[in-house]
Amino acid sequence: MAGKDYNHLFKLLIIGDSNVGKSSLLLRFADNSFSGSYITTIGVDFKIRTVDINGERVKLQIWDTAGQERFRTITSTYYRNTHGVIIVYDVTNPESFVNVKRWLNEISQNCDSVCKILVGNKNDDPARKRVDSQDAAHFGESVGVRVFETSAKENINVEEMFMAFTHMVLRAKKQSQNRAEREREREKDTVNIGAQRDRDRRKRGKKCC
Amino acid sequence: MKRLKRKKVNVVGVNGDASVTKEPNFGRKQKLTEIHQALISDPVDIETLKRAAATRGGLLTDEVRRKVWPKLLNINVYNLPHRPGRDVRDNHRDHNQVVLDVRRSMKRFPKGMPASERAVLQEQLVDVILEVLKRNPQLHYYQGYHDVAVSLLLVVGERMAIAMLDTLSNYHLRFCTRFLQDFMDPTMDSTKHILNYLMPILEQVDAELYDFMMRAEVGTIFALSWLITWFGHVLSEFKHTLRLYDFFLSSHPLMPIYLAATIVLHREKEVKQTECDMAMVHHLLSRIPQDLPYELLISQARDLFARYPPSLLARRAALQSHKSLSISTFQAFQLSTLHQRPDSVLQRLTKAHGAATSGHGLGAALSRDRGQLWGKGNRMVKMAVWGLSATLGAAMLAVAQTAMEWGPDVLLQLF
Repeated sequence: MAGKDYNHLFKLLIIGDSNVGKSSLLLRFADNSFSGSYITTIGVDFKIRTVDINGERVKLQIWDTAGQERFRTITSTYYRNTHGVIIVYDVTNPESFVNVKRWLNEISQNCDSVCKILVGNKNDDPARKRVDSQDAAHFGESVGVRVFETSAKENINVEEMFMAFTHMVLRAKKQSQNRAEREREREKDTVNIGAQRDRDRRKRGKKCC
Repeated sequence: MKRLKRKKVNVVGVNGDASVTKEPNFGRKQKLTEIHQALISDPVDIETLKRAAATRGGLLTDEVRRKVWPKLLNINVYNLPHRPGRDVRDNHRDHNQVVLDVRRSMKRFPKGMPASERAVLQEQLVDVILEVLKRNPQLHYYQGYHDVAVSLLLVVGERMAIAMLDTLSNYHLRFCTRFLQDFMDPTMDSTKHILNYLMPILEQVDAELYDFMMRAEVGTIFALSWLITWFGHVLSEFKHTLRLYDFFLSSHPLMPIYLAATIVLHREKEVKQTECDMAMVHHLLSRIPQDLPYELLISQARDLFARYPPSLLARRAALQSHKSLSISTFQAFQLSTLHQRPDSVLQRLTKAHGAATSGHGLGAALSRDRGQLWGKGNRMVKMAVWGLSATLGAAMLAVAQTAMEWGPDVLLQLF
């Protein structure tokens, strides 16, 4: 292959209950298409889209997962080396919102630190909406996660959500690079085995974000 | 060599479509005759049926499938479960998930099917799945189970689909039955275990490819949906799915893994040319090309199975843990298929039994499901059995038996 065609490569993961629209969101963002008759996602797969952020090429490898609980033992493998996780619920289905807590738990079990975003999808029909925007926002604040409401079907806020999240992930990467830089400076003065071990540990922990 | 074979296979119809079969109808006709003979033998010649299902063209037509599939699973077509009542949907833990998946299964129905007809079948599909789950509280629904169910439903109808899915889930997934059952544990651990057979097969056949995939750390999840849906989820042509179902129904429960291995081996060049990276290799392999030479791959899978049976792989790859139960149950199941009576006899016996015990009107329900062919014979038998004393019934049986040996035409005339 002739050189990289991007400055950053991020692996993102989409999780959430069955039928909240994970595959639809991905298809809308990656291929700008929508079909009402998607098939169930079995296992995992990804799509790619490269975006421009402040003049830098960011390649996003976005993994879509099966929503059914019993697949979690399988999908958990795919949290490895993930930079960001998108948790999706369905604004017309309160249960899927209640289950967000379990998904957050799933993330903390598989990653030390990772960027997260909460997305209420199917937000295109006020008559059918059953998860209040305020409630979602409050919940998001309480767990420190930004909330977006989208509609893959009507193409509302999908692009904005993915772009905002990409910004977050990129910022997180740069912050951790800066941190690593500062540490390296410090270690130049005091090189000892203990610090080295500390650094290694931090590096490993960082893998998720 | 692969390529040569592929060309040859491409000109042969895989779903019994005579117009694209280059060879004259001779082979097909002969196969149909063999299948017919096997079906009327007493006991049913299960080995011939299995061979027919596995060899080129499989069971050729849906009509033949409706007769042979039940035999492969040791199902008495005259003693099928009743159509589920409304209560089948009450309070089942998997009800919502099943409905969601069935609603999203539109692509699994024939393209030209009117929406109203499809809607009826989708309702039946929900009932079939929930009925089997209700009968087997130990089984847990998984996304993809509906892909197996719909493949059966479209060929054999609601009641037979329940019987087949039930057997598959309990035995095939043990035998066959153990199969599904492994997938239907509360977690996916057993399924992951079955997937573990894939890499050792590749290692035996193509060490270079195996090394490449190990280096890429691709894992085996790309084959998950192939395995748990018997490829029903990933093939766009239903005739290919049916061809594979013929094969799997007549084979060892682990055969889908061997077929998965042949598909990976078939794409060996593509794989090796891909970037040696988990995502890239996973992505490539999860997408099944739609023009695969199925007949060739099926025969390769059978060869692989003969050369590297599961017991050998289990030894080499330290895969023993789950194995014994599934294999022993499979063997027991296989034994049980050896002593089946032909349908003509079953029909009489079942009727006679029904008349003697509950006097249940199975026949009426059956003819709805099984079509006119069965219905016709059924009414005749009902009259024959109910109308005659036991002695006369036995005499009748002997006559029919002889007629069977002469062939179906004689039998039809007789009735």
